[in-house]
Amino acid sequence: MASGPRGAAPGRRPTGTGAGRLLVAVYGVLALAASARGLYQVGTKLQEAPVAYVLSLVAGLVYAVATYALARDLRTLAWSAVVFEVVGVLTVGTLSLVDVGDFPDETVWSQFGAGYGYVPLVLPLVGLWWLRRTGRGASAVDARPPAAPPAVG
Amino acid sequence: MLVPLALLVAALCLALAVWAAWFVVADRAVVLRQLWGAAVVEVVLAVQAVVLGVLQAAGDRDVDGWLLWGYVATQLVVLPVAAAWAFAERTRWSSVVLLVAALTVAFLELRLLQIWGA
Repeated sequence: MASGPRGAAPGRRPTGTGAGRLLVAVYGVLALAASARGLYQVGTKLQEAPVAYVLSLVAGLVYAVATYALARDLRTLAWSAVVFEVVGVLTVGTLSLVDVGDFPDETVWSQFGAGYGYVPLVLPLVGLWWLRRTGRGASAVDARPPAAPPAVG
Repeated sequence: MLVPLALLVAALCLALAVWAAWFVVADRAVVLRQLWGAAVVEVVLAVQAVVLGVLQAAGDRDVDGWLLWGYVATQLVVLPVAAAWAFAERTRWSSVVLLVAALTVAFLELRLLQIWGA
């Protein structure tokens, strides 16, 4: 279970507390929206645009992974998921502008996430910033044993 | 039948959102009483799900069932999960989470009405 503010190791804060609560909440909403939409698209009309719909579902699942990782302070997993999202939204966003045929306006990442108020473009950037910010100072205290066990699990 | 219920859901969500926003300004965390408020919204949402089921079974409307029930299910999940997540935090960010969740449910209600074609 998630716990309240704790005595974290100096210079490093759990990613899911404080303002991180909001980040995780917004990630959760996006994960739910994108996964539900992806499941619906793949489940009801996959043959219409298989690439776009599978991509839609994959994007939703990656948001879910990012939500979980940020909530549980699983930094490596969170980094991977968030970087994947940045690459995804930039790639698909660009492709959707250049070649409308392959990417009908049907995935969270099309038009850089315009259909979702550009949240898919902004959120991973905020995520990267947050991961960097909460992790800052970690190297400065590496020599000392951690004051608390890592917040995993 | 659906429109009055939808208006009730929207009004309750907005009331909860204003309550949460006030707590954000006051630099306070979510209190138990607000979770009871969220529970009231959940009860109305459950009633709405039953009403939708009955209306759909009556079959006088051509609605995309998967889409409709996807939204209904999503809407039911948001507040309980967000409430638990918010309550574990004891800073003002707790109230921000509840605010976002309440607005999300209100937005989903709007989409639900559009899907239903009311």
